[in-house]
Amino acid sequence: MSIRAFLAICLCKLLRLISRLLHRGGTAMPGQWALKVCPDLLSILARDVKSVAITGTNGKTTTARMIEQGFADAGLNYMANRSGANLISGITTEFVMNSTLFGRCKKQYAVIECDEAAAVKVFPQLKPSLVVVTNLFRDQLDRYGEVTHTLENIRKALAGISQPTEVLLNADCSLTASLAEDTHHSYLFFGIDKGAVPSGRKSELSDASHCIRCKSEYEYDYITYGHLGGFRCPKCGYHRTEKPEYTVTDVTEQRPDGSTIVIGGGRMEPHVVEVNLPALYNIYNAIGAIAAMREMEIPGETAMAAVGKFKCGFGRMENFALGKGGAKVMLVKNPAGCNQVLDFLQNVREKFILVVCLNDRGADGTDISWIWDADFEKLCELSGRLEKVIVSGDRAPDMAVRVKYAGIDPRFVEMERDYEKLVTELEGEQRPIYMITTYTALLELREVLVKHCGGDEFWV
Amino acid sequence: MELKICHLYPDVLNLYGDGGNIRCLRQRLQWRGMGAEVVKMPIGAKESLAGFDLVFIGGGQDFEQQVLLEDLHRGRDRELLAAVEDGMTILAICGGYQMLGKSYETYDGKRCDFVGALDLHTVGARTRMIGNYLYRVPESLGGFTVVGFENHSGKTRLGPKVEALGTVLAGFGNNGEDGTEGAHYKNVFGTYSHGPLLPKNPAFADLLIKTALERKYGSAELEVLDDSLERMAHDEMCARLERRGK
Repeated sequence: MSIRAFLAICLCKLLRLISRLLHRGGTAMPGQWALKVCPDLLSILARDVKSVAITGTNGKTTTARMIEQGFADAGLNYMANRSGANLISGITTEFVMNSTLFGRCKKQYAVIECDEAAAVKVFPQLKPSLVVVTNLFRDQLDRYGEVTHTLENIRKALAGISQPTEVLLNADCSLTASLAEDTHHSYLFFGIDKGAVPSGRKSELSDASHCIRCKSEYEYDYITYGHLGGFRCPKCGYHRTEKPEYTVTDVTEQRPDGSTIVIGGGRMEPHVVEVNLPALYNIYNAIGAIAAMREMEIPGETAMAAVGKFKCGFGRMENFALGKGGAKVMLVKNPAGCNQVLDFLQNVREKFILVVCLNDRGADGTDISWIWDADFEKLCELSGRLEKVIVSGDRAPDMAVRVKYAGIDPRFVEMERDYEKLVTELEGEQRPIYMITTYTALLELREVLVKHCGGDEFWV
Repeated sequence: MELKICHLYPDVLNLYGDGGNIRCLRQRLQWRGMGAEVVKMPIGAKESLAGFDLVFIGGGQDFEQQVLLEDLHRGRDRELLAAVEDGMTILAICGGYQMLGKSYETYDGKRCDFVGALDLHTVGARTRMIGNYLYRVPESLGGFTVVGFENHSGKTRLGPKVEALGTVLAGFGNNGEDGTEGAHYKNVFGTYSHGPLLPKNPAFADLLIKTALERKYGSAELEVLDDSLERMAHDEMCARLERRGK
């Protein structure tokens, strides 16, 4: 190992120690400086580690936590990064903290969630043994550009991994599945089969309505949600793979606290599996995670049990003991994710309070136009179960306008921008509380919730 | 009274929240007891534009704009040209706005011919102009301020036959150089303010509604609505941009 790398590791460990002593998070900053000293530090530290890298626009964190649960239960010696640290800087910090001063990583395995724009830098150094691409939806155009641009970024990132790697792709996402054209790596697919869930309507706001190869309009045998499903191009013939290696053949029950599914496919015997997070998108996360765990040679029983017992926390349907009915916090980043949360609210049987916290800082996306693509009109279908909406965050008035035009009477819309006051007020509530928040709003709101109700501290 | 609204190319020109403008027009008509019929005209639709009172065209991703050009040159371009000259009320945003102009030239020199209904042309630049921005429309249109979000790499230059829709107070506008934003010609309003322009600019929404109603019925008086939430969203963004400008 070079003296540069040694110095970079020392610097990184020191900066991390200082920032923790100062009660700053210090997940990204130390790695950022270390990479300035030694640009290929990550490749040195990751050299002997078998890593799974998870990328895509939606579901990275949940999928990573599911896989992590399986690694822990299988007794593997592993490390993992957290969602706030999914750029090359944060990933490098994580590796340094798990390595000796002389650059030997103490862990045999790593579960690495990777931002889709950062993958180009991360993958060539990390050289993962397995890559999972969850899906591709339109996401923060001001930050990532168009969705096809994000797709090309991931394509480049995969091409940058020198040795052949196994890549797990969402079969139902026409954009993601198109990554398999490059023959450098080997590809496996996961998905949800026709008939497993009632087919959705073809959304006119599809993020991929036209063929990625020839630009003709896709036809669909079925749709799970958004542009996901059994796509087929009538002109060039590009279509969803008929036999994914890992697939959900049936969803037998969807409850507010989870789902029961039947899985199967080319590499999986049929099994009934419990997923302990609700909503359809978490079923995709579960099948993707089980596929990844199986490919990493975690026993099937352990892998299937993992998606029924993992804890995700940090705003992914995270529960807090707030008021009499409790609060569930749901992070949203883009229309596809928000629509899934709004769909989930349709399953709530009792009267509830909805809080929406909308920020427009860098990590949220500075363009909040997407709230008009999310189907807040669905709130009007709750037939009286929605008691009131409280809007909060930097762009609270815009959110109020959005629900007003969705058809909610403004008399049922309140605004409270001080999270301390908001949480204090909600402590007296009888009804369950559902909180939709964007990323930076979640960081602030969660701090207040943890102070009032307990929960894990989260370093950013 | 009622308006028949056409949402042109909703299947490909639907970049981030454009549908919010249609919702806004519909709600503001209905809150005043007026009718609103919205018809979607995707690629390949055969229906003529002639029976409509208001046409909305949104913005799109580059990938999808190529899909659209073919359809446009199957005759929709000539029809749009005639509708503009005939005084149709049209709101065109971002990609839709560029499309009504004469042409688009990418920065590496590839040129596409567009509808040519507005005397303007657009040239692609390497850097994108992204962010919240603010402009003021001339007194003849009401003199109000408009807050929006722009995200475009095309730089648009206006010809002598169109006037600017507004003067940029903060942000880039048409090209980030000459202080103009958007274009106004007859009853056509083109702007870079993508996404939900109208909900947070109710004065603009009502200007479109009034223009379309007057053309159809000769005259129209609009009942005043309670826009306190809309105004709050508008005013907060104005204040933020003015702070940034200082």
